[in-house]
Amino acid sequence: MKNLSSVRMLTRILNEGQLSWAIRLLFIVSIFLIIILSFSYHSINRELIFYSERVDHTHDVLDKIKDINSKLHEVTYYGRGFLIMGDSSNKEQMLHKLGVMPAMVDELMQLSEDNVVQQEKTKLLRQAIETFGNRVRIYAQENPLIYTNEQKKSLLMAGSTRTLEVVRILNEMSETETKLMANRLQSRNNYKQQIFRFNWVIMGVALIFLVSAFILLERELAQNKMYKAELENKVDNLNRSNSELEQFAYVASHDLQEPLRKIRSFTNLLVTRNSSHLNQDTMQLLEKIDRSANRMQLLIDDLLAFSRVIDMSQNAEEIDLNDIMDEVKTNLSSIIREKSAQINQQILPTIVGYNIQILQLFQNLISNSLKYSKLNERPVIDIFVQEVWGYEIPGVKESQQDLPFYCIKIFDNGIGFKKEYAEKIFVIFQRLHGQEKFQGSGIGLAICRKVISNHNGYIIADGKEQQGASFFVYLPKQTLQS
Amino acid sequence: MLSQNIIMADDDADDRFLVQAAFEDNKINQKILLFEDGEQLLEHLYNQSTLGDTRFILLDLNMPKRDGREVLRTLKSNKELSKIPIIVFSTSKAPDDINSSYQLGANSYVVKPSSYEHLKEVIQKISDFWLDTAVSPY
Repeated sequence: MKNLSSVRMLTRILNEGQLSWAIRLLFIVSIFLIIILSFSYHSINRELIFYSERVDHTHDVLDKIKDINSKLHEVTYYGRGFLIMGDSSNKEQMLHKLGVMPAMVDELMQLSEDNVVQQEKTKLLRQAIETFGNRVRIYAQENPLIYTNEQKKSLLMAGSTRTLEVVRILNEMSETETKLMANRLQSRNNYKQQIFRFNWVIMGVALIFLVSAFILLERELAQNKMYKAELENKVDNLNRSNSELEQFAYVASHDLQEPLRKIRSFTNLLVTRNSSHLNQDTMQLLEKIDRSANRMQLLIDDLLAFSRVIDMSQNAEEIDLNDIMDEVKTNLSSIIREKSAQINQQILPTIVGYNIQILQLFQNLISNSLKYSKLNERPVIDIFVQEVWGYEIPGVKESQQDLPFYCIKIFDNGIGFKKEYAEKIFVIFQRLHGQEKFQGSGIGLAICRKVISNHNGYIIADGKEQQGASFFVYLPKQTLQS
Repeated sequence: MLSQNIIMADDDADDRFLVQAAFEDNKINQKILLFEDGEQLLEHLYNQSTLGDTRFILLDLNMPKRDGREVLRTLKSNKELSKIPIIVFSTSKAPDDINSSYQLGANSYVVKPSSYEHLKEVIQKISDFWLDTAVSPY
């Protein structure tokens, strides 16, 4: 629990970047710890197995010693039987048991290979058993029935001395082995305890890391949820402000125009009905009221046109810009004819977009070029196309740097504008000329910029006073499928 | 002939005044009945003794109580009253309003002019057509 709260504290203190480093650090440390612990666990386990094997081995050695001991006693037993009865059965048994013993000593020799002391003792044992055996075999060739009691007694004594010699060596070996066994058992128990302790340590470490990982993950998830909620909130707000804007457009179209229409109608009515009674001055003033109202009406209409560009409810489609230019030329045919303007264009590409908006974009640009033409010069508009990469566009968004674009360049030979106004002209209702010189509300280029931003493109203006204007329209090169 | 009339339903007193002035200035001698909302208009039509008195109705779309759309729907679904020509007379230029009005059976749709001069002209044209050119169903 303490760990849990401390991790929580940690995550609260660390910021985003630090947290990601902390996670990485934690991960590396935990991997190292797990490797080290596993390695130690492995070697402890190996030691444990080793000592367990040694203990088993000692048991084997002790068993072998006991076996030899009991064989010895069997030989003695049958030997005594033979001494008393002088029969061949006891003799055969005695010799048979004796015959087995060297093989057993050999086995013991093998078992004690790892221990020099025991090997030495085994060698002694072998000698003692050989001596004992030789003695027994000589004795076996005699006929014990002819011995006197005295002879039998001395034989028994001699035999028992040899036997005791073997038994002594066996006991010594047994003792040595028992001592060894005690040591090995001790070691085995030590490692056993260690391995238990290690089990707990590994479990503890794993648990700590798991819990921290869980907490971090939980925190990330919670944060994600929060971000998602925030995003949804923002989308909601955006939708709301969008619909508010649409409502505003409606209000502008209807409620604002109503009183304006009345102002115009009533001034009009006043003039119509009373023109004979009004003096020149009053008539002029009434005309000014009418003109202002008229101008305001135009502004509201333009505002409406602008707000209509916001509406993205129509579907994007593939648009041949050559068709668009044809339509623009048709729509502007009277002014083109009036100014005998010349429009030169390269073959234009097909793009994906909103038809009405793209038409509006090019119509606004071309009609601007025609409108701001020089008085004494025939307007010439040149349109070029070029394929460019996103990073070639000034002020491009980072995400669009590697995307292909069409750059449509529109040059005119009109009155142009000062370079410092290149940005300003795109602002709504922003104008560079007075109403007397050029009519308009300053909505055209604002609409162009809006259209362009609806199409994820860019529009850049360039110009010099009296030396023509140029507009660069960047539209993403794409098809409907992609 | 004397009992014949033209009906205008509009909640805006100024518009009623302007239209009336336009009729007067055009010297069209028709009795003009003015109503402030759809309910008044329908009440009048239901209560009038003889049908065929009304030459045409100038109908505003946005009115309190019962709006122009409702009036249109009600009149055009009535066997007798559906014969009265209805000219929707609204400030709205919205394609939605225009389409739905015709779909509901409006006989024409005229956007209210923004100047008196223009209004006078429009009223003259409407009267020329519906009073003199077109044949009345009665």
